[in-house]
Amino acid sequence: MLVVTASEAQQWLVEKIAHKLGVEQSEVSPELYFDELDLDSTEALILAGEMENWLGFELGTTTLWYHPTIKDLAAFIAEESKTRAEERHAAAS
Amino acid sequence: MRLRPDRTPAPVRRLSTAAAGADTVYLVHPGALDAEVHRTLAAALPAGSGLTVLDLSALPEYWEAALTGGRAATTVEDLAGRLAAELLGARAEDAPTGGSPTGDARPYTLAGWSFGGVVAQALVEQLPAGQRPRRLVLLDSIAPTDAYKPSDEELDPTLLLGWFALYLGAKRGTPVAPDPERLAGADVDRGLEAVLDAAVAAGALKAGTPVFGLRKLYDTYVDGLLRNNRLTTPYEAVPSSVPLVLVTAEGSLIPDDPTLGWEPLAPRGLTLHRSPGDHYTMLSRPDAAALIAQLVHAA
Repeated sequence: MLVVTASEAQQWLVEKIAHKLGVEQSEVSPELYFDELDLDSTEALILAGEMENWLGFELGTTTLWYHPTIKDLAAFIAEESKTRAEERHAAAS
Repeated sequence: MRLRPDRTPAPVRRLSTAAAGADTVYLVHPGALDAEVHRTLAAALPAGSGLTVLDLSALPEYWEAALTGGRAATTVEDLAGRLAAELLGARAEDAPTGGSPTGDARPYTLAGWSFGGVVAQALVEQLPAGQRPRRLVLLDSIAPTDAYKPSDEELDPTLLLGWFALYLGAKRGTPVAPDPERLAGADVDRGLEAVLDAAVAAGALKAGTPVFGLRKLYDTYVDGLLRNNRLTTPYEAVPSSVPLVLVTAEGSLIPDDPTLGWEPLAPRGLTLHRSPGDHYTMLSRPDAAALIAQLVHAA
């Protein structure tokens, strides 16, 4: 399981979304809502599946709904990643 | 995905507004596809007619269940009650007088697609007698009768993967036809590889799309189906007090079954029609919309 920072998660999302949309990364603003990025719900769910595979833990589909910008989502992923790492550490000690 | 706060879907979506004195058709939509898909039907109705969608996917207790494991904390009756209130409110606004406390008494047609037809039929029976539609048009809806209520186990991967390919094709606007031999008896992972290959070959998905990405979409699709299945299982429908008109798609979810189980619920009559397309594309194909428009608009 990966432990990521908010900036790492944000960069991963920007890269993936830019690739999916066929645009430069500089054109993908972390502040925009996902629906403003011309990313439809099919692509968003496929992206969520890719993200879970990268992170090594399940996010739950509602995550995209409740953190509807790249910036919000990256912050949530970092927090979740940190919490899970702490729980794993506590369980192992 | 969640939209900006100013774009949160509303349960009542007027896709076209009726001209003065013209009829409005009301249609219960269960999500899966965006309610905008019904614009093809709106365009096929006679000029000046209105089409208002009652969108179940705008009710959080319903749509969130497709994202959280397929269990909804609601019932068919409650969903029908919510939409019945929305329907009466919309019809009062649509009334020629500009709103009436007793509602609009003019005849109208109600329709429902897929699980939306089940909710629409329940909704009709909750309406006051004078507010019921002249008929209910069911678009490839499977009846909530015992013989047509599958257990979760009966929804096996081969069946679900075939439906998922239809759904993916409709979402992406191009048919996705996986090799049936690769789907037969396949587990979900192997079957999704076949669906992915077909989707990439058809241009529905980009080359390089990972199968674990498609798995997330599949899981959400299946949770939506399971949610509807689990809502239907305990539900005891009462026979319809209005005539039923059933339109099955040539590529229905249950092929070669013209009644989809509605006969026991249709003491006032059941009329059967067949439309081009599959369960999903029957909503977006102009030839299917032309047929459906005739049925929902006929006096």
